[in-house]
Amino acid sequence: MLQYLIIHLDDTSVSYCHYDNYKKERNLISLDDLKAGILFAMKENLMIQMVYPDYQLPKEYEATIETIDHVKIKSISQSINANVVVIDSWNDLESLKADKEIAYVLRTDKASFFECYSRLLPILNEVSRLNVVIKNIETFTDDDFAKYKTILGEIASKVKDCYENNHAVQLNLLTDRMMLDKMNNCNAGWESITLAPDGRFYVCPAFYLAGENEDFGIGKAKFSVGDLQTGLDIKNPQLYRLDHAPLCRKCDAYQCRRCVWLNRKTTYEVNTPSHEQCVVAHIERNASRDLLASIRTIGTFLPDKEIKEIDYLDPFDVKEEY
Amino acid sequence: MFHIKQEKPSWQSGIAKNITFIVTKDCQLACKYCYLVGKNEKERMSWDVAKKAIDYILDNEQDFREESVIWDFIGGEPFLEIELIDKICDYLKMEMFRRNHHWFNSYRFSFSTNGINYHTDKVQDFIKKNREHISIGITIDGTEKKHDLNRIWKGDGPEHGSYKDVVKNIPLWLEQFPGAGTKVTISSADIPYIKESVLHLFNLGINEIHINCVFEDVWKEGDDALFEDQLMQLADTIIDNDLYKENTCSFYTENMGKPMDCVLDNGNWCGSGKMLAIDAVGNFYPCTRFAQYSLRDKKAWIIGNIHDGIDKNKLRPFLTLDRCTQSTQECIDCEVASGCAWCQGENYDTADTPTIYQRSTAICKMHKAHVRANNYYWNKLFRKLELEGKREEFEQNKKSVNPEIC
Amino acid sequence: MKKLVGQVTEAERDEIQRLFERRNGLNELARILTADNAELYEKLVKDLGETGTKFQNWWDTMAAKYNWESTPNGNWEINFDNCEIYLVDNTL
Repeated sequence: MLQYLIIHLDDTSVSYCHYDNYKKERNLISLDDLKAGILFAMKENLMIQMVYPDYQLPKEYEATIETIDHVKIKSISQSINANVVVIDSWNDLESLKADKEIAYVLRTDKASFFECYSRLLPILNEVSRLNVVIKNIETFTDDDFAKYKTILGEIASKVKDCYENNHAVQLNLLTDRMMLDKMNNCNAGWESITLAPDGRFYVCPAFYLAGENEDFGIGKAKFSVGDLQTGLDIKNPQLYRLDHAPLCRKCDAYQCRRCVWLNRKTTYEVNTPSHEQCVVAHIERNASRDLLASIRTIGTFLPDKEIKEIDYLDPFDVKEEY
Repeated sequence: MFHIKQEKPSWQSGIAKNITFIVTKDCQLACKYCYLVGKNEKERMSWDVAKKAIDYILDNEQDFREESVIWDFIGGEPFLEIELIDKICDYLKMEMFRRNHHWFNSYRFSFSTNGINYHTDKVQDFIKKNREHISIGITIDGTEKKHDLNRIWKGDGPEHGSYKDVVKNIPLWLEQFPGAGTKVTISSADIPYIKESVLHLFNLGINEIHINCVFEDVWKEGDDALFEDQLMQLADTIIDNDLYKENTCSFYTENMGKPMDCVLDNGNWCGSGKMLAIDAVGNFYPCTRFAQYSLRDKKAWIIGNIHDGIDKNKLRPFLTLDRCTQSTQECIDCEVASGCAWCQGENYDTADTPTIYQRSTAICKMHKAHVRANNYYWNKLFRKLELEGKREEFEQNKKSVNPEIC
Repeated sequence: MKKLVGQVTEAERDEIQRLFERRNGLNELARILTADNAELYEKLVKDLGETGTKFQNWWDTMAAKYNWESTPNGNWEINFDNCEIYLVDNTL
């Protein structure tokens, strides 16, 4: 069931997820569309997430936005009053003056993560929550998987120290799975939908930001799923739901993003994750399992949670048993 | 001993990898129901492409672990490229042997042909050379009238049916491949001729008829009733004349038209994704139906090519696809679901989004008519066997062909 | 005359079926391979001999194991579909 409306305020609004936003020209949503979007969300009982561009919005926009309860997602350079702050560079992360009320998102590519992950460790003392988004997980190789596992082990050691010092930091890669009892994925197209500056709805910002001629192989990457005038029109909406994802519906890598954009890009189907997405999620899952055991050596911790030992990293490899 | 002829299981059914070379997109015919919308005379596979495809497949034995392989050749009309096919098969034999590839112990060369060139020296020499490893299906649709309704020669001018050009080769084919079956395709216009066509094929000595309705949305109001009537008339003739003893027609299948369970009986109907097709430019597809020349409204679903290999991520949706995830609630709840077939390529072509997870239901009313006629057939046959005191024997014999006794 | 005289196990059937298929493959390969291709030709000749021997050994071993009925001019056949062994003798 739809629960969230993401309003991508401008073509240059910050990316907070796997996709990149290469758009440089400002193109602000019209005030009428913004108002109509807010009205739509009110009528449909949707929580709004405003995704801001890297410049100050006109006053009438700010005033309109403040007419409704919402979450502000902003880049670090415009982070005043933000609820979620997106950091795109390791230098910005290091110089961060963290606010415990804010959730931080660090977007990085794989190579930088492997090179710079140790710079992340001190920050864990400072933040309440940090989401690390590795942008190009579709490029992971077997060697990368091994490296990722080792690195998560090192970071987990730091997270354990935080817990030992009574700082229950949340790091999506390691702590989310410890807390979860069921899938908690992105669920774009099912639980959230995006309103873009063109007044049309998209499954998520990535589907709006794709180039007009971008094609992952079997059709246009950019497609809308309705507009403010005629409402939502999601074709094959069931395919965004967990129960229509054969590999995911029985999976217990509950923290996985299950990114439908990456799915579409790598396997052509929005309901089917790539090998790389599955393995990365399972390496995180297993690292969470180890972390849980490690924290329990300090004292009682989440006694009702159990993460089972499994002998696979990609559910596809054991699909016959599924 | 009393018996009813049963359909022969296909060779190494379920354990053979099917690898299809689309050697040409050309054909002498322009069949009206042909799903190949992009046929042309230009796209012919070169030897270089074929060799690279073979080298890739045999180089990557670890990715092709199936016990057996069927090297399949289609077109268009594959025998238009018999010289290339001959070269491919010779190379395959030598390379499988040279590399000690496990498929050397279990392979077949398979062809679906319109039969027109079957008698030519080149085709006959090829057959003799590979006699123990060949299976050939010739498509003949039934009576001359029914066959020529759809299977016409390509070209301008008045329509010219191909029946006579095919039927002359049937005796030679049956002599070389005793027990061979043929595949018959039913479209809307063919319905009135089903009964006479199947009986005609039996008379020609073709004892196994694999017959199905096209999956495309071609059906008109009232087609289901007509279809049911034809199948019941055919059932009467087959049963009243004891034709079931020596012939099979896939229309009549004992266990079809039952409800299905989403847990116990959730397999995909179609084998796409477990197969591999290669086209003239060296692209790989999950089955030929995903090549561009087969698709009306969607883009080709390419899973790799002979240079870069197979992108396994592109196969994941096929290999995890199950019946219920792609079906509508009506199909899931259907009381006569079993035996209702679908073509993954046609599903993809007609889907509202580029997905293989949306099942086309164009065939629904035809399937239901089929189930009613099939029920009629078996009820009538069983009653006859009971009255003749042969029902028990039939059931026993049925068990005796159960492979479990091995 | 063709008479059912016994049955082998699935595993035994698989073994002879593999040898049967291999022998057919080698025979058809022999039609296209010439002595010019010395390396492959030698491999083929060697394999033909080995496969033929294994083939005969299978029948000898199975005949001894199951003690099938035989006739002086007859030979045995196997139905790969159901593992049944038949005695075929056209002189009877």
